[in-house]
Amino acid sequence: MDSLGHLLQGFAAALSWYYLAYALAGCVLGTLIGVLPGLGPAAGTAILIPLTFNLDATGAIIMLSAIYYGAMYGGTITSVLINVPGEAASVVTCIDGHAMARQGRAGSALGIAAIGSFVGGVLATVALVVVAMPLATLALKFGPAEFFALMVAGLCLVVGLAGKNIVAALLMTVIGLLFAMIGLDPVRGAPRFTFGVEELYDGIGFVPVVMGLFGVAELLLAAEKRQARMIEAELKNWMPTRQEMRDCVGPIGRGTVVGFVLGLIPGVGAIVPTFMAYVIEKRVSKTPERFGKGAIEGVASAETANNAYANAAMVPLLALGIPSSPTIAVLMGAFIINGITPGPFLFQEQPALVWTVIASFFVGNALLLILNLPLVGLWAKLLKIPFSYMCTGVLIFCVVGAYGLKQSLFDVWVMLGFGIIGYLLRKLDFPIAPAILALILGPMMEKSLRTTLEISGGSFAIFLDRPVALALLTIPVIVIAFLLFKPRSLDKLRESDVD
Amino acid sequence: MRQGRLIATGAMLAFCLFALWQSLLLSLTDRLGPGPGFFPFWLALIGAALAVGLLITTFREPADPADAETRIMPHGAGGKRWLAIVALLAALTMVMEFTGFRIAMLVFNAALVIAMGERRWWIIAVFAVLGSYGVYYVFTTWLDVLLPVGQIGF
Repeated sequence: MDSLGHLLQGFAAALSWYYLAYALAGCVLGTLIGVLPGLGPAAGTAILIPLTFNLDATGAIIMLSAIYYGAMYGGTITSVLINVPGEAASVVTCIDGHAMARQGRAGSALGIAAIGSFVGGVLATVALVVVAMPLATLALKFGPAEFFALMVAGLCLVVGLAGKNIVAALLMTVIGLLFAMIGLDPVRGAPRFTFGVEELYDGIGFVPVVMGLFGVAELLLAAEKRQARMIEAELKNWMPTRQEMRDCVGPIGRGTVVGFVLGLIPGVGAIVPTFMAYVIEKRVSKTPERFGKGAIEGVASAETANNAYANAAMVPLLALGIPSSPTIAVLMGAFIINGITPGPFLFQEQPALVWTVIASFFVGNALLLILNLPLVGLWAKLLKIPFSYMCTGVLIFCVVGAYGLKQSLFDVWVMLGFGIIGYLLRKLDFPIAPAILALILGPMMEKSLRTTLEISGGSFAIFLDRPVALALLTIPVIVIAFLLFKPRSLDKLRESDVD
Repeated sequence: MRQGRLIATGAMLAFCLFALWQSLLLSLTDRLGPGPGFFPFWLALIGAALAVGLLITTFREPADPADAETRIMPHGAGGKRWLAIVALLAALTMVMEFTGFRIAMLVFNAALVIAMGERRWWIIAVFAVLGSYGVYYVFTTWLDVLLPVGQIGF
């Protein structure tokens, strides 16, 4: 059956009342968590995992995906109304979105963000339908050597784009991989780094670690800061005017292309496409001086690129099993908790699940549009929730989530420990994303490498005999060599662009 | 900040060296190929080298005057809130097995809301009850998630 046939079957399942209910619940909860300042999509998705413990795998993944999209949109509301990006990708939206709010045009800013997000999300999902299956079919020809090389390339791209200090990012990757080594050896079953602690035989739980690094750490950071003040915005007119809609057609189209293309590359992160889409709009605009002072095109391009990126980032996950950002890594964790390994075999072994989930992306984007346009005023009210209530509510979910998966208080300690570690790492400017991705990819990387070496009798020369693996391994070498030895003038150029 | 980065990198170096030593206690190779210690050994070795490199580059960085004013650990009113979250979470985890989820969470919620600055008794009571008995009911009855029942039956 072709992609379209599978997709239609997926729609039939995704539109059943219970999957529709999961998608709706996910969109509402995601937007709610995205609106709460300080909690981004990764934290939001992680802390709401316990709600899906009792769902079937398809329902759980539909709901968590909807939480992800909802949280992305929720971040826009805080960017526009209080100039605090709910997540990194919304930084660019702050520039013109908040300026619009100050001019009394918050409704238009939020309205165009919802419309742009919908268009970007839907078009990117159409592209996902076209691209994912051929890519997965191609990846089926990969052996363990190619998979190992693919994972190394994916991790190195994340490292390369993680921050200013490449050595710190590489070190964080290695630390993440070492934590992934705790537990039973995936090939021989021998215990490693367990020190006789029974709870460590299953390895360090991914859920408590991400809840600590994102949920608890973000609360600890927020506890130190004062809350930002919200603009008392007029939100009755949430539909942009006809002229504003006409002005945004081009930015939404270009934002979709930029977001989708960059979403396919692991490690790019949502901030790069949003920033790039914004810069492109500023360059093509006949009145670039309006940007930064409330240009609606700035909001439309950034938000469209953001959501197109979010949907496109599902392609490497579903087709190759490579998470391209921490939030996607959390979603991958949810797949694994439900006994499903994302990757090329997914389309063959679980076609009903994967196409229902893809169809639910369309449904989720439509639900977000329906929810967000008329309910903008309600979401804005959530910004007034005091930190004391938000903190308590989030911590309840974190404790239930960390404990609930394995009924282990040890995992609650792990969450607290990683919460403190995450807080310190963020303050010291160590990138966390590479460690999270390494933690989830570690066991698969090790298994692929060791199987490869068993095939070759221990010789690394096998990577030279396999052109795809060799080509994939060349990518990280080039990326890291470039970042380590790049001319200083490039840094200066990038800084001036951001300014 | 620089001092903090040096300490953190030093801790990561120690972690890598410890992992290196532990992986040497496992077999690096066996008759089928790489053994259980193979991957962690090379990872720990690479990690240790990276940590040493980072220590050297951080040490060589020129001192930034702004660093002296930047505090790594929380302080002031924010610091008290920070400490309250950490201490209450630790206390909750310690007592939950004995008291059970409901009692431990009831006290935790009330204490946390007070520590975060809430003084209205009825709000504290609503949060404490809903966040403990309410959450327990929802998760155990509707979502089938098992939560601890303590030795005293709660």
